[in-house]
Amino acid sequence: MTDSDHALAELTIQQLDGFATEFARAIEPLVDEQSIRAVQAQFLGKKGKVGEVLKIVGKLPPADRAKVGAAGNKIKNTIEHEVARRLGELVHAAARADLARTFDVTLPARPHGGGHLHLLTQVRLEAVQIFSELGFVVADGPQIETDWHTFEALAIPKEHPARDMQDTFYVSEEIVLRTHTSPVQVRTMLTQPPPIRIVAPGHVYRRDDDPTHSPMFTQIEGLAVDEGISFADLKGVLIHFVSRFFQRDLTVRLRPSYFPFVEPGAEVDMQCSFCMGAAVSPPCRICKTTGWVEIGGAGMVDPDVFAQCKVDSEKYTGFAFGMGLERMAMLRHGVNDIKFYYEGDLRFLEQF
Amino acid sequence: MKVLWSWLLELCDLDRQPTVEEGARALTRGGLEIEGITDLGAGFSGVVVAEVVGKRPHPQADKLTLVDVITERGGAATQVVCGASNVPEPGRKVLWAQVGATLPNGLVLAPKPVKGIVSPGMLCAEDELGLSEDHAGIVVLDDDDRTPLGAPAQRALGIEDWLLELNAPANRGDVLGHLGIARELIAVLRGKLVPPDVDLSAHLAAHLAAPLAGAGPRVDIVIQDPEACPRYTARVIDGVRVDKVGNALARRIAQRLRGVGVRPISNIVDVTNYVMFELGQPLHAFDAQTLTAGVIGISHASDGEKFTTLDGIDRTLVRGDLMIRDGGRGIALAGVMGGLESEVTDKTTRVLLESASFRPLTVRRTARRLGLHSEASHRFERGVDPELAQLASARAARLLCLVGGGQVLGDVVDAYPQRRTVPAIPVRLSRVRMLTGVALESSTCRDALERLGCVVRSSRGRPAEGAVEDARINSGDETFDVTPPSTRVDITREVDVIEEILRVVGYEQVTSTLPAMRQAPGVRPRDRAELARAALAQAGMAEAITFGFQSIERNAALGLPGTDRRMQPITIRNPMSIDQAAMRTSLVPNLVAAIARNASHGRPDVALFEVGSVFLRRGEGVSERPLHELADEPVWAAGVLAGRRPGHIGAGTPWDALDAQGFALVAIRAVAGDVRVRTRAVKTVSYLHPGVTGELVIGADIVGWFGELHPEVRNRLGVEGPAYAFDLDLTKLALAAPSQMQPIARFPGSARDVSLLLGEDIPAARIEDVIEQANEPLVAAVRLLEDYRDAKLGEGKKSMLWSIAYRAADRTLTDFEVDKAHENIVARLVDNLPAQRR
Ligand SMILES: [Zn+2]
Repeated sequence: MTDSDHALAELTIQQLDGFATEFARAIEPLVDEQSIRAVQAQFLGKKGKVGEVLKIVGKLPPADRAKVGAAGNKIKNTIEHEVARRLGELVHAAARADLARTFDVTLPARPHGGGHLHLLTQVRLEAVQIFSELGFVVADGPQIETDWHTFEALAIPKEHPARDMQDTFYVSEEIVLRTHTSPVQVRTMLTQPPPIRIVAPGHVYRRDDDPTHSPMFTQIEGLAVDEGISFADLKGVLIHFVSRFFQRDLTVRLRPSYFPFVEPGAEVDMQCSFCMGAAVSPPCRICKTTGWVEIGGAGMVDPDVFAQCKVDSEKYTGFAFGMGLERMAMLRHGVNDIKFYYEGDLRFLEQF
Repeated sequence: MKVLWSWLLELCDLDRQPTVEEGARALTRGGLEIEGITDLGAGFSGVVVAEVVGKRPHPQADKLTLVDVITERGGAATQVVCGASNVPEPGRKVLWAQVGATLPNGLVLAPKPVKGIVSPGMLCAEDELGLSEDHAGIVVLDDDDRTPLGAPAQRALGIEDWLLELNAPANRGDVLGHLGIARELIAVLRGKLVPPDVDLSAHLAAHLAAPLAGAGPRVDIVIQDPEACPRYTARVIDGVRVDKVGNALARRIAQRLRGVGVRPISNIVDVTNYVMFELGQPLHAFDAQTLTAGVIGISHASDGEKFTTLDGIDRTLVRGDLMIRDGGRGIALAGVMGGLESEVTDKTTRVLLESASFRPLTVRRTARRLGLHSEASHRFERGVDPELAQLASARAARLLCLVGGGQVLGDVVDAYPQRRTVPAIPVRLSRVRMLTGVALESSTCRDALERLGCVVRSSRGRPAEGAVEDARINSGDETFDVTPPSTRVDITREVDVIEEILRVVGYEQVTSTLPAMRQAPGVRPRDRAELARAALAQAGMAEAITFGFQSIERNAALGLPGTDRRMQPITIRNPMSIDQAAMRTSLVPNLVAAIARNASHGRPDVALFEVGSVFLRRGEGVSERPLHELADEPVWAAGVLAGRRPGHIGAGTPWDALDAQGFALVAIRAVAGDVRVRTRAVKTVSYLHPGVTGELVIGADIVGWFGELHPEVRNRLGVEGPAYAFDLDLTKLALAAPSQMQPIARFPGSARDVSLLLGEDIPAARIEDVIEQANEPLVAAVRLLEDYRDAKLGEGKKSMLWSIAYRAADRTLTDFEVDKAHENIVARLVDNLPAQRR
């Protein structure tokens, strides 16, 4: 081994070590992967600087070869490590730059959905749902009804004064627009033996037109016929319904009243859901400070009705009730004029 | 029914005197709803009864008087200045509005100098107290007035009282008089009835002063139809003076009548009305001197018979009307109205007083047919107890003598061919408990019934051997025999008695239980209407609910041919307005009208739907006949679109016919599931634009239409711009079976596009049909990418770009396979449409 050989090895090692700084300086200003890879190729590519320098390794004495080879690997590692570091930095910088982006999230939302079920539909579906929890199923019947189903079978013969209570639209002598959903009771009892648990929501018609009465409106009728059905059962079902519908514990007051097709008969009042019967200021307009609001009529099915419907009134008893859905919706949603329900006015429909 | 609180209290002896509010609550709780309470004396306050003890002229003014009044016997006199000319002599009573009094006009009295002399308040005239318009002079009480000095003026005027508005149930004729209501009050509050004074002993004519012209003391009564007239009584009162003003009692009667809303007429007529409001028995007074036959007949009218009622109107009668006759001549329509000829007038000196009972149905038919609803007919229609007739006759006779100065001639003549027997009703205690759900004691039931005046005659039976006491179920076989008071014609069955028990005990005693869940047979199918509603609302439309009836004109706006069932709506005989004269046969007109209504509110952008019944005559063909059977009531779904789609920033794009189709498909799929719905262009739907109408077909069934509304139709309904609609018969849709899962595609497919140049008139559906007919098993989906029309393409040409996706379930397709299938389809399109490939 000569000194000059030795010196050549030293020089080569120095040269290789020097590439580290040179490479670092070269890629320092670069901000994209492609340029960094190009510089990397200048050093480590097939004809790269590192390769060119290492060509002399074969001419070196074996003792120096290892030293120079080690220096070569070192610079290769250094450069590759540096490339990976710089590329990593670039990814982070890009991510940071992306996160610096802003967007005006207070712009109006793009509209989706946006349809509306009518308030009365919502209320009807909810009422049916509540009664179905107690085992009631939906039943229906025609809106253009026979006088017999609407009145006669319900113990309201032609000349009965109770017909004054419900001024009727007539289609002909025998055909009417049903004034209540009670004919569905008759149709059900005539076609289905007890036990019966039905609710019948539907449109009914009466010659009446003012802020609380509409010539067409919606009732929901309930009927339970079975052995041992009592007035207390009626009260329990009504309490369950109003409490669930108004989402608070409300009680129900039954007040003696007369409907020809029930006996005993009752007006149904519920505890005022606005003031709960407490003295409030200003005085409650909903219940006029009585603490009660009337929501419908109810009672035990009259034996005469059972007879018309071929139900054995000794074996079976039953209760029936009817309520106006418009009124329930008015009480729960503050609707102050019944006409809004039927005008197709989007300013109303879109509120629910 | 209007009820005076003082009148009611006069007929009761209650264990404890209730306030008017307590009384109203008690009646309401028992089922006689009091809808309002008016304080009749609320108009003024601070006005008291004072006695005049001296008077002298005002030194400064001729027309003024200085009056000394006292409000306490032996008390110090106060000097009041009065401008009236009728200041009475000392000893008479006047009404003094003292300092601090409030008058109906809002005036609060303060000491005020009148021509130099300070007056502490004033003496009142009727108009100043709001009693009448009368300002002729101050109120001077009758010299026999017994109101104590210093008492509120209301007491002297009979207006220290309350008027109750009672909503009488339709089956309770018995509470259309104060006596019946008093019965209810004593049942709830406990007490005794104080029946009115019917003593005639002081008023009987000792002998006949002179031979009588006209109906004398002995009239015969002949009832032709006892069903229609179960009882008729008559009596004659002679020597009465008809007087408009009358004595103190007459004035008191008039005042009470005014209180219950009846206009006073004369002392005689007022008595009949008074007794009707007191007892609930309608009465009629005839001028006996106009009656000549000596026989009162009650018989049916003959068809076409003429009769002039006392309102002066000539009536034509029919066979069902019941007449009261003097011999053969009609003198009254039974229970409805008297006749003009026999009416009591100023000159009447002898009256024949009718107190009778008529069948409700008979009175009701006549009253309804003639539109003659009187206080009398109102009561007869609801049932008047025949047992009341004698009592009412005696009561009226007594009052007539007291106010008219007459004497009773002879006895009452009473024809009572059909004495109503009130059978005892057996009532099982077990049934009471079962129906009410309340474990009522036997003694409680008995007490409740007795308080109502029922006779609970016997109870038999005892708890069954070894029976366990259970409130819900039978707890023995104890039975009551209950005889209701004759006035309660509504109580005939066990269940009626049970209601009475519960009413008196109080409905509030009923606890609440829930009935057992019971399974009823059968399964109700899902509701097409609810499915469609939910889907359409979710898709962005707003649900409307419109009336089931509309004007005939609006219905006709559809412009359908006259033979169409939808052009023969079912009409209402007695609509409230022409806008509600016909049942709707389509949902479309109301929805189109709603577009116009919303536009008028500044809401031109509309997407509304309705799902509901339409009403069609059964059978085919034109029919003007009245309907004698039920209608078909199919459920339809319809929607209308006008203006623009919901915009984001700025306005949205305008709706078009394809939106209407899209919403129609939403409704169809909600009901029928993923069925193949074909569309074809038709020109036959009168309310849609002939060039923009799509017919929706499933299999062989036409289920509805969509398109642009016909410009004439929408103009008729007030809509100016273009609008779109769909109209579906939901009953034509088969409910979808639960959808079954299909295998997930495991192998990728690939797509090929084809661009076609073809005739403008070839509908898109035709291309889909040709592709389908090619029956190429690899076709997975077909999509239209572009529908392009441009003059540069050539006259009547359009360009369409379609993309066809190919896929196999079991392998990845090779390009060769896909190309082969695609070229096959393209060749068919080119040949069959025809089209050119671009
Ligand atoms: Zn309240």
